[in-house]
Amino acid sequence: MEGWALPEINLQQCNQCGACVEQCPTGAVEMGPEGPFIARPSDCTYCALCETLCPQGAITCPYEIVWGTDGP
Amino acid sequence: MVESTVQALRRISLFADLSDDALIRIARVARSQTYVPGEVITIRGEPCRAAYFIAEGQVRVYRLSPGGREQVLVQLGPGQAFNMVPLFKPHGANHATVEALTPVTLYAITCKDLHRLVGECPELALALLRDFASRLDHLTNLVEDLSLRTVRGRLARFLLEHGETNAITRRWTQEEIAAHLGTVRDMVGRTLRAFADAGLVRMDRQRIVLLDREGLEAEAQR
Repeated sequence: MEGWALPEINLQQCNQCGACVEQCPTGAVEMGPEGPFIARPSDCTYCALCETLCPQGAITCPYEIVWGTDGP
Repeated sequence: MVESTVQALRRISLFADLSDDALIRIARVARSQTYVPGEVITIRGEPCRAAYFIAEGQVRVYRLSPGGREQVLVQLGPGQAFNMVPLFKPHGANHATVEALTPVTLYAITCKDLHRLVGECPELALALLRDFASRLDHLTNLVEDLSLRTVRGRLARFLLEHGETNAITRRWTQEEIAAHLGTVRDMVGRTLRAFADAGLVRMDRQRIVLLDREGLEAEAQR
């Protein structure tokens, strides 16, 4: 799991509405006492749906832009 | 105090070639300010009070559409300046909102002080004109992108400009990419999927892997 990127959840911005928990297509997110967290990291496909639907903008799925085999 | 400010100002590209005399004059009026990530430095439409010269850190310069959508005009880093244009207009207002992306240290010079300095130091006036020319170039390219290129073209160009080979210097959310391109997040997502279907890129979890340079360059011409 080392280097396995997960959505970043800013708990200070989160209002615990639960939209990410309800609508995560793989059920990877759960609500904890502090707010939502990725309870099953291996189930997360990094589809970024949680980023789209979070009304508070508290979840981000950042991407690295890198060159593959063809090079720059 | 003035000596340490002179050293810091010399690292700002706009001031790098100025004489010691000019730098000492600037250092006497430049005020050091610090900001934390997310802190707003200037707000669009408010009266322009000062020009800002970044010593450390990154800021983003953006405007909001009436619907609240961001259009990032430019991202600036150490050695670069902002809020220069309204400073030279009578009753000028800030052209854009500027927000710290990282911890930022900058030097602020008030309108009144900079006007006086320009009168006293022709070499500073010339340095400012060079900076204006460079900004005009950037904005002309942005206008061309927004008016003449499709979202596919703009995204392909963005990917070509930001594709990295060695150390990763930053990561981008689709929202941030959309703001840079003057479009919305859904369009970025759809276009990335179209690029992936065409074999131009591969979506590899947290990576957008660029696969076909020639194909992306052809898209960038659209």
